[in-house]
Amino acid sequence: MSHDGHHSVVIPAPGPEFVPHTVAHHFDTPVQEFQAAKLGFWLFLATEILLFGGLFAAYFYYHETYAETFRVGGQQLDWQLGAVNTTVLLLSSWTMAMGVRSAQTSQKGKTLLFLGLTVLGALIFLGIKYVEYSAKNQHGLIVFSHLFDGYDQANKQLPWFQDYGGVMKDVPHGHLFFAIYLTMTAIHGLHVVIGAGLIIWVMKGAAKGRFHAGYFLPVDLVGLYWHLVDLIWIFLFPLLYLVP
Amino acid sequence: MTTNIPAIDQHAAPTGGSTNYLNNTSGFWSWASTLDHKRIGLMYLVGTTLAFLAGGLFALLVRVHLWEPDGMLFDNPTYNQVFTLHGAFMVFLFVIPAIPGSLGNMVLPLMLGAKDVALPRLNLLSFYLWLTGAVLATLAIILGGFDTGWTFYAPYSLYTQKAVVTIGLAVFVLGFSSIFTGLNFIVTVHKLRAPGLTWFRMPLFVWALYATSILQVLATPVLGITVLLVAFERLYQVGIFDPRLGGDPVLFEHFFWFYSHPAVYIMVLPAFGIISELVSVHSRKPLFGYKLIAFSSLAIAVISFLVWGHHMFTSGQSTFAMFAFSFLTFFVAIPTAIKEFSWVATIWKGSIALNAPMLYTLAFLIIFAIGGLTGVILGSLSVNIHMHDTYFVVAHFHYVMMGSIALAFFAGLHHWWPKMFGVMYDETIAKIACGIIFVGFNATFLPQFIMGSRGMPRRYATYVPDFQVFHQASTVGAVILGVGIALMVYCFVVSLFQGKKAMVNQWGGVTLDWLTPTPPPLENFHEAPVVTTEVYDYSTLDLSTTRTPIA
Amino acid sequence: MFVLSIQDPQNAGPAPQPQVDAYGQLSKLASTFHDVDGLFYFTYAVCIFFFVLILGVLLFSVVKYRRKTEDQPAASNVTHNTPLEVVWTVIPLIIVMVMFAWGYKGADQMVDVPKEAARNAYKAMAKQWSWTFTYPDGSVSYGDVWVEKDKPVQFYLQSSDVLHAFYVPSMRVKRDVIPGRMQTVWFQPTEEGIYHLFCAEYCGNDHSKMYARVHVVSSAEFKKRPWDDFDDSTPELAAKSGESLYSRNCAVCHSVDGTPLVGPSWKGLFVKGEGDTIVGAKRTVIEGGATKEITVDDAYVLESVRTPAQKLVATHPNGGMSSFGPELIDDRRVKAIVTYMKSLASK
Ligand code: HEA
Ligand code: HEA
Ligand code: HEC
Ligand code: CUA
Ligand SMILES: [Cu+2]
Repeated sequence: MSHDGHHSVVIPAPGPEFVPHTVAHHFDTPVQEFQAAKLGFWLFLATEILLFGGLFAAYFYYHETYAETFRVGGQQLDWQLGAVNTTVLLLSSWTMAMGVRSAQTSQKGKTLLFLGLTVLGALIFLGIKYVEYSAKNQHGLIVFSHLFDGYDQANKQLPWFQDYGGVMKDVPHGHLFFAIYLTMTAIHGLHVVIGAGLIIWVMKGAAKGRFHAGYFLPVDLVGLYWHLVDLIWIFLFPLLYLVP
Repeated sequence: MTTNIPAIDQHAAPTGGSTNYLNNTSGFWSWASTLDHKRIGLMYLVGTTLAFLAGGLFALLVRVHLWEPDGMLFDNPTYNQVFTLHGAFMVFLFVIPAIPGSLGNMVLPLMLGAKDVALPRLNLLSFYLWLTGAVLATLAIILGGFDTGWTFYAPYSLYTQKAVVTIGLAVFVLGFSSIFTGLNFIVTVHKLRAPGLTWFRMPLFVWALYATSILQVLATPVLGITVLLVAFERLYQVGIFDPRLGGDPVLFEHFFWFYSHPAVYIMVLPAFGIISELVSVHSRKPLFGYKLIAFSSLAIAVISFLVWGHHMFTSGQSTFAMFAFSFLTFFVAIPTAIKEFSWVATIWKGSIALNAPMLYTLAFLIIFAIGGLTGVILGSLSVNIHMHDTYFVVAHFHYVMMGSIALAFFAGLHHWWPKMFGVMYDETIAKIACGIIFVGFNATFLPQFIMGSRGMPRRYATYVPDFQVFHQASTVGAVILGVGIALMVYCFVVSLFQGKKAMVNQWGGVTLDWLTPTPPPLENFHEAPVVTTEVYDYSTLDLSTTRTPIA
Repeated sequence: MFVLSIQDPQNAGPAPQPQVDAYGQLSKLASTFHDVDGLFYFTYAVCIFFFVLILGVLLFSVVKYRRKTEDQPAASNVTHNTPLEVVWTVIPLIIVMVMFAWGYKGADQMVDVPKEAARNAYKAMAKQWSWTFTYPDGSVSYGDVWVEKDKPVQFYLQSSDVLHAFYVPSMRVKRDVIPGRMQTVWFQPTEEGIYHLFCAEYCGNDHSKMYARVHVVSSAEFKKRPWDDFDDSTPELAAKSGESLYSRNCAVCHSVDGTPLVGPSWKGLFVKGEGDTIVGAKRTVIEGGATKEITVDDAYVLESVRTPAQKLVATHPNGGMSSFGPELIDDRRVKAIVTYMKSLASK
């Protein structure tokens, strides 16, 4: 226990390509630091889940109210692309886990490789999402150029929902499914972007040799975050693409 | 509670003169970038107090306007903005962050014998998020204001041509500020307790903050997504809450109250913690029913997630939902009743020092009994239907939010002021201010109970003349209250420049916060403390420390 | 005065008296929902009891156990007393359970609409910021509503814009009015009088002016249909009634100040001739495809109301006015409208 708190605990680096880690001044031991950060991060993940929980509650409420709308709406989405995206995310979860594992075992090169692959997964995911969004755009189900135009009071029309093919015309409030689809996937997509950014940030640290068997906390936490992003998609996919 | 800190440490100045967290570094940047929980606490204190004064100013405008049935100051749309600003400032910028942000930050690590909170950078981030929220809220005023009421009920909040998106963003950001504070405290309590400081040796302020934090972490995200959806709805017409587009405004109410009912306990639990602390110290007696008070905080935290529907009894719930929500509402009153009785029992046969913090505490106990019991009246189904959205509700929540929480906050400020700054305020002035506040407060809000039960609806810019005499009484009370608060602020500010040196242990507390040097040094303790005795054991009190001024 | 300056009730009658019981804290009770009052006074008594108890113990302690010397220890260090703790848990529990059951009983009565009320169903349409009431017989009134004493009545509540709430303190009823949902409320008025009807859910700028009055009248009085304020006994009253009919039925499409709306403005429909006589203006109209010139007179107005498409004004060749049959506006009322039109005539 440090008595005046001014000289802190230092974890030595396992090799020359790594740098030692200094435990933050207000912690007594590295274990304390690790556990504190981990607990804090789990709590943060809980708030993320609850945030999406609100969206899921809205989803279920309207699914109940407008079952037909949701069924027809779900059929407009391309479940194959969705399935590919699910696979991509699952694989990236695996590469992320491998990345963490490599950091824990002080394998710098492998860490960078697997983290890089995870970022690649994120990019593929976003690319496919882009393709899907533009398809919706072409069918007038989500007209991005009119997204912020506001409700047309006179014609009682939503500018962002044109439905060129008329696929939703027989069900009540056809836009609702796509509104919820867009809101959920966009917020999820934002998480993917943030996750990828965090991974790149961690890669920078890894390249400098900051993470090794003695200290890999940031890699671990970013990994948890990425798994959460993946997990949420696992729920989104069946709910939106394979509407029950 | 004793520690292995040698007694001498408490009397003599620490080596190297009197460096403490206030003066160990200086300059604007040393504060703006500080990671020290005490400095962050002080910044919160300044910020939330300013927000309170701003909110109070809006309240005074509301009260003056309502002097005449047709309104004195504003046209209706302006009045609506003023009361909304009052509610939003008080709730989001003052009452939720105030106690955890300022006193909690200041005292929690001290009480745990820790050098800081577990995640100091996150702590600073919380503060800056608060600041961002405050700036956004102010910006929203400039951008045309908002007139939705603090509840943002859809669909009105979707149609009104005001800065709803900006204030929504502010609430979102403030929500995350609150989440991060809560998260930080949970981790700190779990991981940074001093050796020997078992869960049941923790002071009750810590228990209360812990229960609060759980609520903050679990309830606030739902508010976050709700205001986000309102913003989306306004920006691109999602249709989730808009009945024109097939949405359901009642769903919004559910979302909102799912957060906002637990939020009232987010506000009040820290206040309970302060009161628990203060009744013990100023009666110099261990708390009656320590464990029951600790557990009741957790019980309140859990049950409070299940009662949100009591804000919606008139919005057409099923009979079963009304039944369940009313039942659970009564249930949540029981742990609170236990607390109230335990505090009273602690004072009973104590050694009662009638200083300013204790006077505020007594005022709290009296006012909270009224505030809580009127909450119970509102929980009764048939009575609620008559009282809902009348001034009876307004009076209820001011008895708990202003009369209880703000007063508990003032009590805590008076209590820890010598610890924070090393100086004492003028006790006589402080007591006079407390008396004026007590009288002014009751004069403001008792008449509101009466007019509310006679049918005066809330959020009214104009009213039928039947109610004028009550409104006028209330306005007079508010001015008295304002004078009292102004006097209290004056007393504090003057003490910073002319105050006497505080005692080493001003009130004779035996929790770790009173065993650090006053004011505490950068990392709180010169020797890492080890706890060997039970909590609130006043037999270990060294009375000489309550008589020796700090060096 | 509030009533005149703020809202515009249909019949500017006497203002409601302050509605306070002589003995009590609640507004006067004029319906059968006694449970609200009983429970309220019960809980009120409980509150006063606990309040006095707590205040008493605190005052006593502060006087008796006040610290007189610096080192005075507590008179007792007891931290537990299980029987006491059980008592102060169980007694409040019992009390709140009584309150719960009693409150539920009262609310259940409010939710459960009896058959007689359902047979006497009104519609209350709420919009920013006024109330429109439709009676069971289809007639309509604005701002004020009349109900029969002792006869249970139900209101279906609808909103055309945002949330509102239907609140009649003396009847002890309140219900939110929610766009897109049908809400309902019922009560049985027991005392004649005029009662406040407030909007109790914040609805925007003039929320506080969204005021109406409930007139509880005897059944004899009710049969006279007091909401029907039509009176053409003198030309002045006829013009006034005509104006009121205009504002409710015609003002959406016809202005009286020349502003072009859906239909032609009524300005200049009649003009002042020599010696203050009032004569109809000339009109070019299309009848059966042929254009012709006519002079506006009572018969033309009546025809325009009953069969608007018969003679279309040339400036509005596509028409657009729907016909008003005698069941909506009888001939006497059309006459009153004409009287009103004539009262607008200027040089
Ligand atoms: C911090 C704030 C706070 C606190 C602590 C409380 C505490 C309680 N509140 Fe309150 N409440 C609000 C803030 C708060 N409330 C706000 C802001 C609103 C309005 C929001 C809006 O619409 O804008 C509101 C509205 C509100 C309503 C809805 C009113 C309406 O709009 O129709 C209800 C209904 O049940 C209610 C009930 C209760 C109950 C049962 C408690 C209980 O927790 C109280 C428990 C306390 C006691 C019981 C007193 C102490 C005990 C004794 C003295 C012993 C004896 C006890 C018994 C015999 C029971 N509150
Ligand atoms: C913590 C929360 C909090 C606090 C502390 C207060 C404090 C006060 N509130 Fe507030 N109030 C709310 C939260 C709070 N309120 C909420 C949530 C609403 C609902 C809003 C809504 O409907 O959306 C509300 C609504 C509300 C209304 C109802 C408006 C309406 O429905 O139309 C009224 C009316 O009297 C009111 C009055 C007051 C008064 C007089 C104070 C006083 O206690 C204020 C005391 C402070 C001061 C007096 C100012 C400080 C002193 C100075 C600046 C010095 C200078 C002054 C002098 C020398 C005189 N409040
Ligand atoms: C839905 C819109 C609408 C309403 C409601 C309406 N009108 Fe008209 N009215 C018109 C239009 C359009 C015309 C012009 C075409 C025509 O002559 O039919 C018109 C024409 C008239 C004319 C002929 C005017 C002229 O300048 O010669 C009269 C008279 C008239 N309306 C009376 C009434 C009365 C009385 C009522 C109410 C009881 C009423 N209208 C309600 C739309 C309306
Ligand atoms: Cu309508 Cu308030
Ligand atoms: Cu509540």
